[in-house]
Amino acid sequence: MSAGIIFRKEVRDHLRDRSMLTALLMPLMGPFMFAAIFTVVASWNNEDKPIKLPVAGALNAPNLVSFLTRHGVEVTPAPANYEDQVRDGDLDCALSIPEDYGKEFQGGRSAPVQLIVDNSRNKTRGHVRRVQRLLEGYSQQLASLRLIARGIAPQLAAPVEINEVDLATPEKIAANLLAMVPFFLLMAVFVGGMHVAIDTTAGERERGSLEPLLVNPVSRQAVVLGKWFATVSTTWLALCVTLVAFLFSLRHMPLQDLGVKLSLGPREIAGLLLLMLPLGLFTSALQMLLAFYAKSFKEAQTYLSLLMLVPTLPAAFLTLTPLKATATTALVPVLGQTLLMAEVLRGEWPSAVSMLVAALVAATAAALCLMAAVRLLANERIVFGKS
Amino acid sequence: MIEVKELHKKFGKVVAVDDVSFNAPDGVVTGLLGPNGAGKTTTLRILTTLIAPDRGSAAIDGEQISADPIGIRRKLGVLPDARGLYPRLTAREHIHYFGELHGLRGAKLREQTDKLVELLDMKEIVDRRVEGFSHGERVKVALARALVHEPRNVLLDEPTNGLDVMSTRAVREIIRRLKAEGRCVLFSSHVMQEVSALCDRIVVIARGRVVADGTPDELRAKAGKESLEEAFVAVIGSDAGLRS
Repeated sequence: MSAGIIFRKEVRDHLRDRSMLTALLMPLMGPFMFAAIFTVVASWNNEDKPIKLPVAGALNAPNLVSFLTRHGVEVTPAPANYEDQVRDGDLDCALSIPEDYGKEFQGGRSAPVQLIVDNSRNKTRGHVRRVQRLLEGYSQQLASLRLIARGIAPQLAAPVEINEVDLATPEKIAANLLAMVPFFLLMAVFVGGMHVAIDTTAGERERGSLEPLLVNPVSRQAVVLGKWFATVSTTWLALCVTLVAFLFSLRHMPLQDLGVKLSLGPREIAGLLLLMLPLGLFTSALQMLLAFYAKSFKEAQTYLSLLMLVPTLPAAFLTLTPLKATATTALVPVLGQTLLMAEVLRGEWPSAVSMLVAALVAATAAALCLMAAVRLLANERIVFGKS
Repeated sequence: MIEVKELHKKFGKVVAVDDVSFNAPDGVVTGLLGPNGAGKTTTLRILTTLIAPDRGSAAIDGEQISADPIGIRRKLGVLPDARGLYPRLTAREHIHYFGELHGLRGAKLREQTDKLVELLDMKEIVDRRVEGFSHGERVKVALARALVHEPRNVLLDEPTNGLDVMSTRAVREIIRRLKAEGRCVLFSSHVMQEVSALCDRIVVIARGRVVADGTPDELRAKAGKESLEEAFVAVIGSDAGLRS
């Protein structure tokens, strides 16, 4: 009853607080960063995109130009200042065919062409490589024809055949990025309620409004519960906002182009929520406990900023010791959730026991933190500040 | 009615309240006068059940404060030493918040709020956020939220501290009204003029002990001095901290 009154007051109070916006926007950074990286990576490697290639002196080598056109290159006449444009990044690259190309070619010597590139630009590298490969292909094709015309097997001229096996495929990059989804959800649970947790505890004392509140006929349990409900609400809100943002950005990401299979359907969402909502109960309670204990608003901020390192621990730990999600790992808050979320995202439904254990551990830890907070409120030095 | 018997409270090695005893009857304004650090605030905090005494007892309307702290707080209206407000809430929301915590709802709550707004002359500011309120306006809000449930016993810790003349008059007016309504008013101050202007009974505290207790006339007679001020100086042993 009283807890409800306190909860409603805190909600009304914090809805008018601009810092709440930052609390909700900060977890959003993850999904947006994600979408941006994905889109950029995908655009670098998009092989279906036709190559635009400005060519200077196209008339000097009509066969080369028609070879390029057959292979999907849009050949355009190069502007007069194409070298400057490449340097400035306006053009990815340009091809220049000198006038004596035909003469050299006819004479059976190496006919020179110039590919104008700027190697300091990462963005153009994929594009340039495709053009280079086409030109080399053309060169090799002609070389083979010339060798065959002279009765020599083309293989003789290529003693070593190099086949490149690139391990850093876009698929792999994408998979690595997707592995960060659980991390961002954890961050949301640790960041979302932080401001409310501090403001309703250390902030309340620092404003001098804790003593007036406690002289009302309200039990300490009700005070702690009311404030906890408010903190949990914002934590959950931040979690849901992050999830929705992920849904939105995943839907608009060119995942298929990268060959990534990831479905964030109702089943996966339900699994993630079942894991993270109980964890939010615990993080909110822990944040309040620490903030009540802190001597000041500033000190509480320091404690809770340190607490934000916790979500990074499982990731660091798992790179050293790969673990599989079991009922035992579910006993460790945060670590358990990290492993189980990874399972959910892989499309495997974790065992009900593990899910239940994880939820129960989080709820129990939350209850212990709340009980400790109630005890702290009975302490004169906590209520009136340590002077 | 407030009865205090031999209250004792130590913080570490410092004795804050040393066997303090006094009575504050209904319909009477009792002043707790003493220099800063004399133990007035600690005594009031013990009465609000926020601090547990090491020894001694206190009763509000005949009920021991240790027996049912929540029940005791229901009987009290308190303007504590800390009177912080929530900057983003309006004055009316402050009054409603505390009224609801005291179990007031609906029409009764609105009626009580309007009454206090009228009494404290807060019509202009009641629907503004308290952020940017003057000191006097803040004290009015704190006072209104403390009295919204019409408490039988009112504890005021330095209510006029730092107020301008107009706000001080408003607070004095409220205290006289509470007395006329037959409530028990206990207020602490380190300003002698404040206490002598309002109080029927004065309890003088110095260094945690009660050094004098009685009506202003009794105090003058006991000290053998003509003016109240000299009587205070005589009972306290120095005039340190008694002036505003």
